[in-house]
Amino acid sequence: MAKSITLTVNGKSYSGEADSRTLLVHFLRDALSLTGTHVGCVVGRCGACTVMWNGTAVKSCMVFAVQADGDEVVTVEGLVKDKRLHPLQQSFWKNDAVECGYCTPGMLMSAYGLLQKNRNPSDEQIKKAISGNLCRCTGYGNIVAAIKEAAGNFTK
Amino acid sequence: MDFPINPPIGERVRRKETERFVSGTGRYVDDLLPAGTLHVSFVRSSCAHARIKSIDVTAARAMPGVRAVYTGADIAAHVKPLRVGGSSVLRPVKLYPLAVDKVRYFGEPLAVVVADNRYLAEDAIDMVAVDYEMLPAVVDPEKAMEPGAALVHEEAGSNIVYKFHFATDGIDKVFQDAEVVIKERIRSHRITACPIEPRAYLAHYNKDEDTLTMWSATANPHSLRGRIAEIIDFPEGKIRVIAPDVGGSFGVKIQTYQEELLLPYLSRELGRPIKWCETRIEHMRNGRHGRDQIHYVEMALKKDGTMLGIRDKIIADMGSTYTVDHSIQAAALYMTGVYQIQNYSVDALGIATTKTTHGSLRGIGKADASYILERLVDIAARQLKIDPIELRLKNFIPAEAFPYRNVTGALYDSGQYHLAMRRTAEMAGYDRLRQEQIELRKQGIYRGIGVAFVMEPTSSSRIHATGGYASCRLRIDPSGAATVFSSMGEQGQGHETTIAQIVASQTGIPFDKITVIHGDTLPTPYGFGTGSSRSSVVLMPSAWVAGKLMRDKMLGIAARQLKVLPENLQIDGGKVFAKDHPEQSIAVMEIIRTAYGAIHLLPENMEPGLEVTGYFINPNIDYTPDDKGRMNTFSSYPYAAVIAVVDVDIETGMIKIVRYSTVHDCGNMINPQIVDTQQQGSIMQGIGAALYEELRYDEDGQLISSSFMDYRLPCAEEVPELQLEHIITPNPFTPLGAKGAGETGMLGPPPALCSAVEDALSPFGVKVRETPLTPDRVLNLIEKAQATPAHG
Repeated sequence: MAKSITLTVNGKSYSGEADSRTLLVHFLRDALSLTGTHVGCVVGRCGACTVMWNGTAVKSCMVFAVQADGDEVVTVEGLVKDKRLHPLQQSFWKNDAVECGYCTPGMLMSAYGLLQKNRNPSDEQIKKAISGNLCRCTGYGNIVAAIKEAAGNFTK
Repeated sequence: MDFPINPPIGERVRRKETERFVSGTGRYVDDLLPAGTLHVSFVRSSCAHARIKSIDVTAARAMPGVRAVYTGADIAAHVKPLRVGGSSVLRPVKLYPLAVDKVRYFGEPLAVVVADNRYLAEDAIDMVAVDYEMLPAVVDPEKAMEPGAALVHEEAGSNIVYKFHFATDGIDKVFQDAEVVIKERIRSHRITACPIEPRAYLAHYNKDEDTLTMWSATANPHSLRGRIAEIIDFPEGKIRVIAPDVGGSFGVKIQTYQEELLLPYLSRELGRPIKWCETRIEHMRNGRHGRDQIHYVEMALKKDGTMLGIRDKIIADMGSTYTVDHSIQAAALYMTGVYQIQNYSVDALGIATTKTTHGSLRGIGKADASYILERLVDIAARQLKIDPIELRLKNFIPAEAFPYRNVTGALYDSGQYHLAMRRTAEMAGYDRLRQEQIELRKQGIYRGIGVAFVMEPTSSSRIHATGGYASCRLRIDPSGAATVFSSMGEQGQGHETTIAQIVASQTGIPFDKITVIHGDTLPTPYGFGTGSSRSSVVLMPSAWVAGKLMRDKMLGIAARQLKVLPENLQIDGGKVFAKDHPEQSIAVMEIIRTAYGAIHLLPENMEPGLEVTGYFINPNIDYTPDDKGRMNTFSSYPYAAVIAVVDVDIETGMIKIVRYSTVHDCGNMINPQIVDTQQQGSIMQGIGAALYEELRYDEDGQLISSSFMDYRLPCAEEVPELQLEHIITPNPFTPLGAKGAGETGMLGPPPALCSAVEDALSPFGVKVRETPLTPDRVLNLIEKAQATPAHG
């Protein structure tokens, strides 16, 4: 059953048709062409689809698009402001926290969610915050270092 | 060899490709959606082994949005069979993109639905009714060899599908006379690569042009192109395979798959772009599986620890639709590892079972060999009451013996094993660790120390498989920017950066002005897949050769204009100048303009333009064995020494890695940052293999660990303290001195952690022979050992 929904994504209002079963991640990717958010397992285990939903980092394969009707969503594309990389993105680049790049958007959004709430996280808190995001390439060490470094330069 | 390598080679240059990945503007296959795309979903076998009596697709065809449904029989009538087996397989069989008549593993695709979107396609597959005649599952490879076992492929007449034998003269005598023989059965369990991007394909047949474009998350685009041409009988030249950004491979995307070869047919048939992105469950069931070898292995030693010989019998579970993945030979040729052992025999069997097809996985075959050998060495040390480091130091191939021809003919390029082991012991504080261990035992803490020394043959080269060469085409545009067309794709290895570093170093074109194109068969020269850590061993040298050809050409042009011999010229800061008289100079831009537009100023017989192709051939490969069966099929031999420290909680069975110390030698590093990051990831993948990950089949052949719920990848919270160091022994067989860097990391944790756990639980006399070391397995081991009173 298709329903018309409207949501604010990266500060812009979007409207579109979504079936009641359409996952938010598919709506973002297919209807809005925001393909930065990735699909890795569709069962909430890998975290590649993590986005901010009303201020909290969530796995967008675990949310139906219709549930987000009227809500605010931030995706990885929304981190770039005025063509400038967000401090988290810069820090991931500088710390070589990326290899194939597939988990990266989700990893960034989980980190963004953490730093929204905690500007001075410990290594343990960082590891816990990204424990739902799987990375097969980097072994996580550089990602943790990148988030730690970005915490000092964090802007909303 | 002298290595004339200059910056930015060897620098920790920030990766070019990362900018798009952090911005969310990477482009993976699933991000592409041409107008008119139809989506497919596969009907998969719900049993391991059965004859297909009938498939009823009537209801599925009538579902909303369904455009077509095909069964295996529909497809087999119109495509050529898959290339399965080959010359080195005993029993080649005929298979198709979808199962025909019979299914041979749980999850095998047997019908396909094409629909307007993926939701509708998935709805429709549930409406396909398949009537099976059940056959016995063939799960245990040892039972599969017995007479009377159900046959996976009846036409093959046996489940033994591959055999390999090698023996040195008098091996049995060595064992008869030996003071000590250690004999074990050790199995490397079945795991899979699990890149975070599953497989994804998009085929687009353009009717007007009569061309086919295939976007594939493949690590092997050129080879895939040939396979597609074969199977749909379409001119290879009209097919373009594009691997855009690929989200990791670790071996699993280097092979071609049933689904991958079906999509081009469907697109041609239906005249529409056809897309399929597999689900994670499908990936676990259908992506190639790795490891899963049983070794009955023996080592003969003197009482003083001198290793004399190894005898091995390998039983390798190849799964159902076996291909020649070289895993068995790769294990069999390297069972003597890093030790001076010149007496060896092996009988290896590849067995067909009703499981997912076996294939490439980071460290294929060599990981099984190094795990089993290193465990055996550790077991020997314990039995002989010799320190595991001392036993290794006593038997290592010495640095002065390189290049070293091992017993099977493998030619190890270079190494300093004693140095690497001693440095690791020093870094880990080995002597202190042993003291601490005694103290902690008194407090009831079961601390264990595990030693391993792993070696990873890299850049395999075999006839008609991986060729032993790679190439890069390099063009400097009239504008002064350069483009490199690489013969190999990338899946996170950072080629866009490292190739640019090499070309910048050779030509003086600034790093930021160099673009690397890869993974697209149209502009790039032919090449083999990205695997076997061959990029740094054969691809990067080809970029070096291309850069050198270009440099020679630029210097030739400058030489004529400056009237200075080319060997007396230098490129730096956008200028070419005489080394002795820097005031005699010409701008690089002027050379470029001359090459394109003022060809009357070019040296005699020089071609216009600035475009060259560099090939590099691994010079140290044997393509055929000698009269004793010896050959070298890999061109470089990186290695790592490891000391792992663990605490085992005997109440819960949980293992905590206290510290993991390793010294790695991959020769010269083109970009040490990229090596470090890759190595950390490789180590974590090895930790997953040792402690968490296992593909488990039940007795009916059902895969019972097929999602991230029950197949657990390590997460950030499980990262131990890592001590990582490098020593550099350059590979003398390439101009860059580099060895493969991607796989050695993964090889260390399985033997090191198993030995550490066995060490921690030595008061119970626990023997670790099965992995992964999940908490329940550890508890069972303790329980079993306590029930066996023989130990003290």
